[in-house]
Amino acid sequence: MASDQELIIQFQESINREANFTALLKKHQQKVYYQIKRMVTDHADADDIAQLVWIKIWDKLDGFKMESEFSTWLFRIAYNETLNYLQKQKKQRTIPSNSDLLDYENTTAGSDSPKSTEIQIGLDRAISQLPEKQKVVFMLRYYDGFDYEKIASIVGTTIGGAKANYHQAVKKVESFIKQL
Amino acid sequence: MDMEKDMKLNELDNIGNSLEQDRAWAESLLNKQNLSQFNLSKTDAPFNYFESFPDQLMKRIESEKKQKINKKSPKIFFLPSFMQPLNRVAIAAAFIIVVGGSFIFLNNSVWKKTHAPIVAKYISLEELSSEEIESYVDANEWIAEIDVHTQMKKENSRLSSLDEKQIEEIEKTINK
Repeated sequence: MASDQELIIQFQESINREANFTALLKKHQQKVYYQIKRMVTDHADADDIAQLVWIKIWDKLDGFKMESEFSTWLFRIAYNETLNYLQKQKKQRTIPSNSDLLDYENTTAGSDSPKSTEIQIGLDRAISQLPEKQKVVFMLRYYDGFDYEKIASIVGTTIGGAKANYHQAVKKVESFIKQL
Repeated sequence: MDMEKDMKLNELDNIGNSLEQDRAWAESLLNKQNLSQFNLSKTDAPFNYFESFPDQLMKRIESEKKQKINKKSPKIFFLPSFMQPLNRVAIAAAFIIVVGGSFIFLNNSVWKKTHAPIVAKYISLEELSSEEIESYVDANEWIAEIDVHTQMKKENSRLSSLDEKQIEEIEKTINK
């Protein structure tokens, strides 16, 4: 399988542009979609933003100078596009809607004890209430396993700032759950 | 308070040493099972979504590209010049002016030649009221003016064609 760099160079040299772009897309589309969906919750919104992100990548890939990793650049665009989208739509839900919670209850009900379900819903609420930056830092570190240098350049902060965001995110969620 | 601060600083110092350590610390506070359950709820997508996404996206890129091209160079269709809206209006206006103008002009001159003498025969000035005469004069003033002008032009041209002798004779008769 060709590396990101090889695919980008071929794209920039106009060799099978569409095929190379599609290969890049297939490699990264799931992670980009999940990063977006964790921030917006709704699939339709996530799909819309994901399309905007990849259209932007298509438009700007010719000018990409490989000074950073492609995935870092891609996730930074996804992060910024999601923030823009949330601001535009004014849909920034700090607390999940009742329907979200109902869906969540339906997916988790039956598998665990009532107390456990309650904690899971609480965790969902607590993470949703985090500031966007802390939320994204926590997700990228805990679930995607990105190093802090990469996280810092995605969300536009320092490595120390990214670490502090991770720490604050976990602590805030913990204190929210304790209050249940 | 100081102990709490020290604990926080210690925790912060420990963050970033390794991914496993960071994960373990979060799991100790938030429960690993709950965290993985949360991730499952956030990382689902409709069936076949990722398989169909590239095709969908490429179609959208293609259509946006076409839209951009269309915006950059809009196609201009030239109508024959007489079919263009402004020209059509101009042509219609000119037609109305010519037809309307000539109709009014002809009517006036025909009326003057045919009806006016007949009317003059049967209607004496005394029968007309002063208001009727005034309104007639107002309505026909411009025609009278034109008549005077044409008469003056005729006279001027006749005078300019006279030689000196003829002019002297005319002056003599005027003096007499």
